[in-house]
This record gives sequence, C-alpha cells and structure tokens, in this order.
Amino acid sequence: MIMKNEIAIIAKDISKTFHISEDSHNTVKHRLFNLFNPRRRKDVAALRLTSLEIKRGECIGLIGRNGCGKTTLTKVLAGVYPTDTGQVKINGSTMLMNLGVGMSHELTARENIYVSGSVLGLKIKEVDQLFDKIIDFAEVRDFVDTKIKFFSSGMMARLAFSIAVNAGADIMFLDEIFSVGDMKFQEKAIKVFESSWIEGKTVVLVSHGMDVVSKYCNRAAFMKDGRVEFFGETEKAIQLYTQDNQ
Amino acid sequence: MILKIVNEWLRQSNKLERLWLLAKIEFKLRYYENKLGLLWALIKPLMDILIYYVVFQIILKQNVPAFASYLFIGLILWNFFVESTTGTIQILSVKKYLYEYSNMNKLEIYISTLISNSIGFFFNFIMFLVFYNFLEKESTGLSVQNIWIVVMFVNLFILSLGMSLILSSLYIVAKDISQVWVVFTSFLFFLSPIFYKLSTFKQALPSFDYGNPIAGIIINTRRVMMEQSPPDFRLLGFDYGYAIVLMIIGLIFLNKLGSRAAEKL
Repeated sequence: MIMKNEIAIIAKDISKTFHISEDSHNTVKHRLFNLFNPRRRKDVAALRLTSLEIKRGECIGLIGRNGCGKTTLTKVLAGVYPTDTGQVKINGSTMLMNLGVGMSHELTARENIYVSGSVLGLKIKEVDQLFDKIIDFAEVRDFVDTKIKFFSSGMMARLAFSIAVNAGADIMFLDEIFSVGDMKFQEKAIKVFESSWIEGKTVVLVSHGMDVVSKYCNRAAFMKDGRVEFFGETEKAIQLYTQDNQ
Repeated sequence: MILKIVNEWLRQSNKLERLWLLAKIEFKLRYYENKLGLLWALIKPLMDILIYYVVFQIILKQNVPAFASYLFIGLILWNFFVESTTGTIQILSVKKYLYEYSNMNKLEIYISTLISNSIGFFFNFIMFLVFYNFLEKESTGLSVQNIWIVVMFVNLFILSLGMSLILSSLYIVAKDISQVWVVFTSFLFFLSPIFYKLSTFKQALPSFDYGNPIAGIIINTRRVMMEQSPPDFRLLGFDYGYAIVLMIIGLIFLNKLGSRAAEKL
C-alpha cells in the first residue's frame, strides 16, 4: 500500500462556501411557483483560500475553536466534498472517522466489515484475515450476524473504530475519536493507534484535547474563521489555540 | 474517458471484487429480507404475464402467436429498466454511508446496484428459457441467434445506467423528480410494444420504434429469442446511440451535481 510518492495530499487554493437555502422545499413545483421570487439564501464561507501539503506518514493535528472549519477542511481533503476553487490531489484511499462511520444500519456486522474493508481498498482475502481481529477488538463476537441497527451506540462506535484501526485507509482523518467506548477500550484504542502510526499511515487528527495533539502530531494547523492561520510546529499551534480561547 | 475508468478498475483488482461484493449484498437485501424471498422475484413476472394475457389475448383477442412468451420477454426487459431507473433515484441518499466517509468513486455504487438487478434479470431469463422451450406450444426452440441477447442486454444495461445517473443526480436538486419519472415511465410503458402486437404498434405510431430507446431493445430481443432471426441492425445502432448519449450525459450530471451529494442530501 505504500507508494513511492512522498506526498499524501496537496491542496492548492482551496475554499468552500455553503449556500444555505432558507426555502425549505427543494422541488420542481416549488421552483416553478417561485420562478420570479429571488431565492433567499445565505452564504457561509466555511473555508477560505487555503493551501497545504501533507506528506506520507505524517501525523497532522488540526485545532481551532468550534465552527472554525475543521470538519469542512477534513471533508474537502478527504475528497468527500468537492472544493469550490483550486484543487486537491489525494494519493490513496481516505477514510473520515467521527462518531458514525460509513456503515449501513441495514447490514450485519459481518457485511459491514467486508463492505468497509473493501471500500478502504482491501481485497476480500485480506479482509478474511483481518476479520477475527476486527471482531475481537470491537468486542462484538456474539453479534457478528446481527444487523447493526440493533447494536447499542457503544457497540456501533467500537465496531467502526475497530474497522478503522485494523483495516485503515492510506490516509485517515480522525475527528474527535478518542471519546469512543469505556476507559478500557480507550486504552486499547490508543495502544493500537500508537502501533499503527509507527507503521506509517498518514493521519489527520482533529481534536480539542491538546495533550493528544502534542503527544502524537509532527505538525499542527491552527484554524480560525475558516482560515488556516498557522501550519507548522505543534507547540506553536497549540499556543495560538490557547491564546484564542482566552 | 470510459476506457480510462475501465482500465483503472482492471488494474486494481480490488474494485471488481468490491463491485461484486456490493452487488451480492444488495441482492440479498432485496430478496432475502422478505418472507417470500427470491420466490417473489420469480412469481412477479408470472403474475404480470397472467394479467396482460387475460386482457390482451382473451378479452381483446390480439392473436399474437406465442403471446405468453411474447409478454414474458418484454416484461422482464421492461422490469429491469424500471428497477434500475425508478429504483435508483434515491440511491445517493440510501447509499450515503458508502461515500460520506471516504473518497470512493460514486459510479461504483451505481454499477454494483445494476449488477444486482442483472442477477435478478438472469433468474427471470432462465425462467423464460424454460418456459419458452418446454411449456410454450408455439415455440420455435433455441437458435444460434439467441446469442445476440448478450448484445441487447449490454445495451439495456448502459441505457439504464445512463438514465439512473441522470435521475439520481437531478434528485439532489429537485426531490420530486421521482414523481415526474413515475408518470413518465407509465407513459413510456404504454408507448412500448410490450403487450401490443408489433404491427399494430408500428401502424399506430410510425417510426416510434426508433424514437423510443426501450422499444427497439424489446423488438430486437424478440427477434433473436423468438423469431430465430438476427436483430434489426439499424434499430440496434439507434438504441446503442441513445444508450451511449444518455450515459455521457449521466456522467456529466454525476460530476456536476452528484459530486455535491455529500453536502446536499
């Protein structure tokens, strides 16, 4: 899975504005009846002109106050949202992880593991090999063939987490993931993360926990009002963030 | 562009596996979740045939030779088209979990769903073959021309995929496209030679077999499956033309509108 290319993501002059329509209906009928009424809409500039480069194997911290555009930036970098300007070049598969991760509630745990594994770029045989590890790590051995809509939220989160750490995409975006599960599970999770980072996955970590960021990240970006104000040394970024909070 | 995509898929064999995996799961979800299960997939075309048979052969006395088989093949082609278009309008919303958290190519979601529908079509087609060869009194039996069915089906597949891409992308900006399409398909259903005698159809709507992309596929499939003759190549050319044009429009729509699905739906 390791490519020769050293760069994982290059983003050049990217920006993202959401056009939020205040008209609730989005139908042809509604359009026709309101043909001559101007559409009421609000523009929210979630991400302003930004360029950055992430190297393969790096762990990047992404910090900033609520609503500063962290999640939008990760979604654009992961290729989930298209950017309005500029371009993003992504080398490899990406996975975004926050509390709910790409799993269908209609499928069983087994099916979800295979689907997610495959989406993350693994072959069926590779998923076969990882299967037991994923199930045991998530502690859902007794519910392998149960649809996950019957899972408790904790079980679901553990399963998602387990798929992510064991299958893992080339580039992982982790949005506040250390809040999953009980203490014991968190300990286990952190241990696995430490070991899989050593294996050289590219990670972008979004967190409000400064200890986590300063412990694991080589570099960090501090965001404010949709702009990346600083991108570099982790300590400096944390310092800026702390100042911003005062 | 299409060649490039296909080439990329073949290079990374994981993609083919993934398409098949998603198709299998989709198929299972559709048929194994219900009490009747796969049986329903087999019963439904038979029920439809019964209805149209009573109406058009017994009441209206159309006198089409081997009418049950005539209906059978027409209906399974039509059902594939409807399932793959009407049934996929909300696909980007239903399958959001697949692309919301990763950079998976959305086209794969469509193709896997259509492959799943193809499995259903395959079962129905086997049923047709059994019916036509063993139960149909006026059957002309198997023939080498039957092989053309593959060409017809590929045509139908591309046509359905193109329409599916267009409709589901439009769904992002206009939710009621699903209602509009339901009306449109019932219009199209009655303007396709599914249960009419072909000569009546051609007389009433001259050259409409060229205007309606699905009509030509049905006509040609009947030629190769029931009349032991090669397809009408002019018609075949037209239908491939339609399918490819719609497919290209569909891909453009997916790029322009579909790429915003994650934020809009």
